[in-house]
Amino acid sequence: MSNSSAVSSSSIWKGGRSPFNVSYGKLMMWIFLLSDAFTFSSLLVGYGAIRYSYSGSSTPWPDPATVFNHFPFLHGLHLPLLFVSLMTFILIGSSVTMVLAVEAGHRKSKKEVSKYMFYTIIGGIMFLSCQAWEWTQFIEAGGRLDSNMFGLTEAARQHAEHLGLGDHIHLADADKMPGPVPFASLFFIVTGFHGFHVLSGVVINIIIWLNVIGGTYERRGHYEMVEKVGLYWHFVDLVWVFVFTFYYLI
Amino acid sequence: MSNSHNTPTEGNYIPETYIPHAESHGTKSLWRTFWILLGITIIDFIIYFMAGASMFRNLVFIALGIVKAILIVGIFMHLNYEAKFLRWMIVLPAVVFLSYLVWFLLLEGDYVSMMKY
Repeated sequence: MSNSSAVSSSSIWKGGRSPFNVSYGKLMMWIFLLSDAFTFSSLLVGYGAIRYSYSGSSTPWPDPATVFNHFPFLHGLHLPLLFVSLMTFILIGSSVTMVLAVEAGHRKSKKEVSKYMFYTIIGGIMFLSCQAWEWTQFIEAGGRLDSNMFGLTEAARQHAEHLGLGDHIHLADADKMPGPVPFASLFFIVTGFHGFHVLSGVVINIIIWLNVIGGTYERRGHYEMVEKVGLYWHFVDLVWVFVFTFYYLI
Repeated sequence: MSNSHNTPTEGNYIPETYIPHAESHGTKSLWRTFWILLGITIIDFIIYFMAGASMFRNLVFIALGIVKAILIVGIFMHLNYEAKFLRWMIVLPAVVFLSYLVWFLLLEGDYVSMMKY
């Protein structure tokens, strides 16, 4: 910043230096992330429009609290939001270890970079395992790409309304009927698309981590590659913030 | 690649290999951001169980989500400390197009709902 503030904005564009004061690779990573942000936004905004279009429908959009209410090893308990909160915590945790790896890279501390990148990879794998479990539960409960069993019969809906939404509702199979198809298909598409980003993030992280251990960046003299993969990893965390908000909270 | 730390003085600037010198800002602000993000998630959790479902609650969740997003992009992705033009190049298209898209598709969803039900 000290460089750019010393020069007035008009001379920044006269050539001889980067107006963005950033390396080519990092600039391209930012532009890729901007385009990826549009992709995810299209999915989430499309989800919002479809969900909104179901207001007033005879098969209303299912309440997430009645669908995503499981927790590993705690069978039969109604625990909405708890498991996704744990997933959010894992992802935020792996984000902070990633940013610590970037910071260690600025100090050129190879040992610390590899340590924090290792933690990040573990966090990513934990998150993916959680998502695999979540999907398994969802599919077992009747979620399919082309159908789902999360609609409520009229009697069950009145009962749920009487108790207040988010209360301890136990749904018997007799209370269920086919719900809105996009509910399940959009869940698979959006969390699947995000999960695939996490998976590729883990793979790229492993590659960069092996390079760190192998001393590639020590020889190169800078750890900018860690910064670039860090940007990608934080972006995955950023997308999860909105998936969490729109799929589980609202 | 030892010359990759070249400062942007005239003559030796090569766009493809230029790497600005990176400095550590310490870990204090990073940990603080982590605790704030964690705190907001816990607040989300509390609001979810304390308040019944309503449009106001949804707007609170979206607002908290945007606060989290600003913290992640600004501090973790380091955009707060980048050059002014880079910041605007990333933030402006996102804000302009996304607010347009959200407005446009909520209108569309409302219309579909009106025609169908």
